[in-house]
Amino acid sequence: MKELFKRLMPFFLLAVWSTAADAQSQRITGSVTDERGTPVPHASVVAKGSNKGTTTDEKGNFSLTVSNSVHTITISSINFQSQDVPVTGGSISIILKVDASTLQDVIFVGYGTQKKSNVTGAIASVKAADLDDMPIQRLEDALKGRTAGVTVVAASGQPGSSDPAIFIRGITSINGSTPLYVVDGMPVDGGIDYLNSADIESIEVLKDAASAAIYGTKAAAGVILVTTKTGKAGSMKVNYNGYYGTQAPARELSLTNATQYATLRNESSLAAGNGLVFPNTNLGTGTNWQDAIFNKHAKIENHEISFSGGSDKSTFNASLGYYLQDGIVATEISNYKRFTVRVNGTHKIKSWLTFGENVAYAYIRNQAPFSENGYFGGPLASAINLDPTTPVVETDQTVIATNPTYANNASLLIRNGAGNPYGISQYVGQEMSNPVAYVQTQLGNYGWSDKVVGNAFVEIEPIKGLKIRSNIGTDLAFWGSNSFTPLYFLSATVNNTSTNNYTRGFNRANNWVYTNTATYSRRINEHSFSILAGYESENLSQQFGSTLTYLGIPATTFSEASMNYSVPTASTNGYGYENQPYTIASAFGRVTYDYDGRYLFTGIVRRDGSSHFGTNNVYATFPSASIGWNPTREIFWHSNRIVTDLKIRAGYGINGNDNLGPFQYESVIAGAGSYTFNNNANSTLVTGYAPQTIANPSLKWEQTSQADIGLDASLFHDISVTFDWFKKKTSGMLMQVAIPGYVGATSEPWGNVASMYNEGEELQIGYHKKIGSFSVDWSGNVSHIENKVTNLGATAYIVGQTFQASAYEVSRTEIGHPFASFYGFKTLGVFQNQAQINSYVDSKGNILQPNAAPGDFKFAHLSGGLGPIGAKDRTFLGNPLPTWTFGTTLSLGYKGFDVKAFAQGVGGNKIFSELRRLDIPAANYSTAYLKRWTGPGTTNDFPRLIDGDPNGNFSNPSNFYLQDGTYFRLKTLQLGYTVPVKLSRQGGIDKMRVYIAGNNLLTLTHYDGFDPELGGGLLGIDRGVYPQARSYMVGANITF
Amino acid sequence: MKYQCLSAIALLGISLTIGSGCKKSFLEGSPVGEELQSTYYTSPSEALAGLVAVYHNLDIETASVGDGSYSNKLGPLNSAGDECYAGGGSSTDMNSWQAWNTNTQTSALDPGWDFWDIDYQGIYRANLMLQVLAKGTVPGLSSALQSRYVAECQFLRAYFYFELVRLFKNIPLTLQPLTPSDMYAQVQVADTAVYSQIETDLNAAIPVLPPTVVQAELGRVTQGAAEALLGKVILYENNTGRMTDAAAALDKVYSSGLYSLMPNFADIFSPANKFNSESIFEIQHTSTQDAGYGNWGNIQGNVYVAMTGPRSYNGPIYWGQGWSFNPIIPAFANFMYGDPRYGVTVANIDSIVTASGGTVSYTAGYANTGLFINKFAPLNQWVNNTAGDPHLNFPNDYIEIRLADVYLMEAEALVRGGGSAPSGLTAQNFLDMVRARVGLASIPATLANIYNERRLELATEGHRWYDLVRTGQAASALAFKGYKDGTNNILPIPLAELNNTKLVQNPGY
Repeated sequence: MKELFKRLMPFFLLAVWSTAADAQSQRITGSVTDERGTPVPHASVVAKGSNKGTTTDEKGNFSLTVSNSVHTITISSINFQSQDVPVTGGSISIILKVDASTLQDVIFVGYGTQKKSNVTGAIASVKAADLDDMPIQRLEDALKGRTAGVTVVAASGQPGSSDPAIFIRGITSINGSTPLYVVDGMPVDGGIDYLNSADIESIEVLKDAASAAIYGTKAAAGVILVTTKTGKAGSMKVNYNGYYGTQAPARELSLTNATQYATLRNESSLAAGNGLVFPNTNLGTGTNWQDAIFNKHAKIENHEISFSGGSDKSTFNASLGYYLQDGIVATEISNYKRFTVRVNGTHKIKSWLTFGENVAYAYIRNQAPFSENGYFGGPLASAINLDPTTPVVETDQTVIATNPTYANNASLLIRNGAGNPYGISQYVGQEMSNPVAYVQTQLGNYGWSDKVVGNAFVEIEPIKGLKIRSNIGTDLAFWGSNSFTPLYFLSATVNNTSTNNYTRGFNRANNWVYTNTATYSRRINEHSFSILAGYESENLSQQFGSTLTYLGIPATTFSEASMNYSVPTASTNGYGYENQPYTIASAFGRVTYDYDGRYLFTGIVRRDGSSHFGTNNVYATFPSASIGWNPTREIFWHSNRIVTDLKIRAGYGINGNDNLGPFQYESVIAGAGSYTFNNNANSTLVTGYAPQTIANPSLKWEQTSQADIGLDASLFHDISVTFDWFKKKTSGMLMQVAIPGYVGATSEPWGNVASMYNEGEELQIGYHKKIGSFSVDWSGNVSHIENKVTNLGATAYIVGQTFQASAYEVSRTEIGHPFASFYGFKTLGVFQNQAQINSYVDSKGNILQPNAAPGDFKFAHLSGGLGPIGAKDRTFLGNPLPTWTFGTTLSLGYKGFDVKAFAQGVGGNKIFSELRRLDIPAANYSTAYLKRWTGPGTTNDFPRLIDGDPNGNFSNPSNFYLQDGTYFRLKTLQLGYTVPVKLSRQGGIDKMRVYIAGNNLLTLTHYDGFDPELGGGLLGIDRGVYPQARSYMVGANITF
Repeated sequence: MKYQCLSAIALLGISLTIGSGCKKSFLEGSPVGEELQSTYYTSPSEALAGLVAVYHNLDIETASVGDGSYSNKLGPLNSAGDECYAGGGSSTDMNSWQAWNTNTQTSALDPGWDFWDIDYQGIYRANLMLQVLAKGTVPGLSSALQSRYVAECQFLRAYFYFELVRLFKNIPLTLQPLTPSDMYAQVQVADTAVYSQIETDLNAAIPVLPPTVVQAELGRVTQGAAEALLGKVILYENNTGRMTDAAAALDKVYSSGLYSLMPNFADIFSPANKFNSESIFEIQHTSTQDAGYGNWGNIQGNVYVAMTGPRSYNGPIYWGQGWSFNPIIPAFANFMYGDPRYGVTVANIDSIVTASGGTVSYTAGYANTGLFINKFAPLNQWVNNTAGDPHLNFPNDYIEIRLADVYLMEAEALVRGGGSAPSGLTAQNFLDMVRARVGLASIPATLANIYNERRLELATEGHRWYDLVRTGQAASALAFKGYKDGTNNILPIPLAELNNTKLVQNPGY
């Protein structure tokens, strides 16, 4: 039908022209370009005071014949500021300025798009242009610091690390706050690590409930919509984007050297009444274990090549990507490779019938055989805790021959090329072992995944404005691991002396979603409206896996290991699992209305049925409404240079979260104890079966309701401002409910109990200016959030993370405090003498810290009750989650040169730094320990050292371990040069940009660990996090 | 255009059909690899498994509910009475038993906690099975079995409530499984309402329960057990006007002719004589489970046996790794001394040590008296040393109701109610039979003599504390243990039960 219209158009125009020709007429010609001189096609050219107009052609040229009374023409195009140009006669050159407000952008809102100017919800958007030329390693990083209200906390710097924790407007639930990822309409499970950042057209974050309600029961924690690039009609384009670089640790921990270590160990041992550990402390510097495992030249490279093009009937965008990152810690066993392929296509089969598909495949292979933030062994934890007196390689043949640790395990020792065994610590045991030797035991072991995410759609447009679309998407993932454990001896506890084993794991998951939508949009005079109606069914349950182990195969290394070796059945073991059913069926609708762009309204309702909900509440309804007002379009508004555009909006909505396990509304039948029947000689035990708990057929979704008030403004044409205030309440959070014993259930059932809220403000400012050849783009954002738990039902508090072997937890969730707040003792300095200890008494005169000696911490007696100091004297010590997050991007251009800088940071949070293993008295020390108390008056901040730690100076979690987590980090700094088009065209290249870049160049922080950005999963607890690398890269972006 | 519209409608139609077609069944997946309550109880074996789960709560030696520690019944009851001290390894070993021993129990340190949780769990399971069986929809289950299971559940529910109402008096009475909406709304009812429900259940069960069971079913409830329990319940209700009812119920046990006193008193308690002729309701244990501590919560050996044995004992007859709980109070031993049942009741380890001339030894536990419970003593011959932990695998049973007890209860009911039993026997006849079995001459069937006889006959079998309380002797008999009349006659409601509920603490606690 459009075709028909286009064909008729010339006749129509001819008719217009012929009537116009009768009057006095003039012919206006001209060309429209952007500030870089690139032609702007399809720009609208309208004669002011008449209804005549045209559009520019592909080369940006236009020609228009109008009456002589026309003195001004208005040029406008999406993404550019409209311009009025006087008619001067002759050809006019018009340079359109990019509209900094970006209010004209089209953004994705879920099951469709909306003009940004008409959006009434709080949606943050990151466009391809923001990511182009940025060496982003993980797609989630694209959101970090660029979108107000979105907190991205990396799990660690390990290549292919766990998914970063992403909090959209704070912690949404005690049961997890992972947002919903929707890639090209397909809800994707297991993160978006499989995506290649060069394929991304845009990422939209639906932050408020009013926008996210369209995703109903999956949207409580916010929604991240990822849209991949489609091709554009026109000549075929090939684009290469790549970089190559080197990475190094940004910082090492300051640990004691051998001499310092020996001194501290002696002191600690003597204090406890034990003997000298090191009669001779003059041991030099000893081994720096960090140097032994850190790689200061770890490779990173990324290559992406894409092909796009098409005709007006069919367009495509295909890409190949390869990404490799070596880890900066123990590179041989810490690295990541990803290979991606994508084909996106759209085909207009008939004028009214469109078919399209997006298919992505990713293969990931990574090695990460040790914890990225843990103190139970692995190279990093060992490097922190191993004593510096142990050599990396033991070369003393007398020791090797006589020391039983070596002599008794000679055949199992890991040896270097020269045949000498790697050093084994005589002091530090438990899970700690020589990290260089440890690496040798893990060589080759890897994890892998194959993932295919694809969708295909058919869209028909039977009448103008009505689009009916049917989309089927699938997310198919296979993943597993492959590992060989040889025979080895690293220490008395870290060894495998009996039999080697070879293990392969295999898992498969397949989710599919089937979506049907109908959209009708129409404009009648000043009234524009659109209606969306759809339904969707989703199956998320198709997952199963198995693991098989062969014991005692005839191999000594991973490369020799194979499952082709036959081993007796008794030497194999395996297990498998499969997921319980999980399905969702939904119907949803959205109505948008605007009157002349002045008054805006969006209403959404979604009804979801989930197999996770109880039988009384199978269906949940999630409504939302939002309104907007654009006063600058009012008649009374005096147009001025200051506020050039303004939109005020408000919205309220309800979202849900069906993040509970299958059949939790029901009770599972399980063995309930047995009873004995028959006489003694034949007594038989019969097992009884009973429900595990009380069925709760009313179990339902966690509900998040959110109010949002915001404004989008454009000032002086150059500055865009977006501000939002929100309050998000989560209620009915799922908890296991404490039930009275008279109910008789074995275990506690799940109930909708707890609530919390998040309240905050977000500000995003952008500035764009071009002065001659000089251009400036700056954007900055800051957001502030407060989280508070308001109800936990009958539960007094939820214990958070534990603290090594301590009975006291590090964090707890309690009413009136932020989620997972740090909890522990408060220190009041160090006792300088016995008199101070003796005078620190409770109301009955009992000494509060009877185990204390001078040099020990004085803990605050917060309970005020009778002593001694104990559990009840603990208090809340700080928030693990930032209350402030901020980021800024600066881009400067001068002719072909550009400089881009991106920095981000957080504030208001604390980090609990527990790097040293307390149950290993001989573990190495941070150099901070050198400032310990050694006698009256030496210090009031750091206690004495004593093995056994009778006063709990170190074993009590206290504010002593907490540090300010605020940081500001120059994440990326880039210097680029674009070869002038004239020059590059000679080589057949449309665009060529080369750059050098650095990541994580500078971090401003008070935190003394590796990295203040940590603990996505552990919430602010540093147990020796794998640090983020500092990297330097050279890259190129070539289009031809 | 027409064609386009048709195509569009067809596409829309197809997609709607697929979508809506999916809808209902689409959200109702069935679980893989596990059973749900809503789909269980659909075969005879599943119904039986549900019933066995109720039986399980008759005896949980090691609880995963309550305070989570050892949870047999005799330990705390014997600690509370005037026959034994709590004993054990120290003054804090089995802390709640120690508290009951000194009548210092509190809501937070409550020997009743395990009873409460275990009995109510049993009640829940019985309620659930009664609900399931009331629907009459267990395919393949014969109606005879169906009624028998109902009767067994009624009996067991009555048994659990009887224990609770005696221990706590003021308890919530639930006859249906509670739901999340009403679980916090329960209130305590008058004890008379509980007793009335117990009688209702037992009266319903009696005609249905089998008089005897086949060997493979030994341990299952019989008619005689229900009749005996009914008589006992009415007796405990302490209403003089209903003593004839009690006697009538108990008399049915006698007249059934199915039971007889064991000729040799000592034989009653031996695992070699399980379900002997005197046993009416027996809670069984086994040595064949090979239980280890990993079986916690489901240990079917008799752990109380290990608990009462002498500590680090080195000598004949007795197993050497006991934990010395419930040492017998010398005053009680002295009272019994001379009775033919003394030797079966009291193990005088000190005398063995003395007689051995130094070859036998043991370590004195807390509150040691040298006198140990003999009816449940850990004899070497019953130790399972093959697998698991021997502490957890003694096969000794608790005979919850035995004929001598029934005779003495009937004698008491007849004395208090007057007249003679339907069988024509008198209180004197019943008392005489009990005494005659151990070779004792007749004495007048006065209430005092009957109570005295109970004390001698049933010592350390878990009846004494209840007897003292219900007969009003506790205040004087337990004065030496700090017993406060009006408070310590019942236990405090466990603290955890008061959180978020409408329960009211018992007076004095």
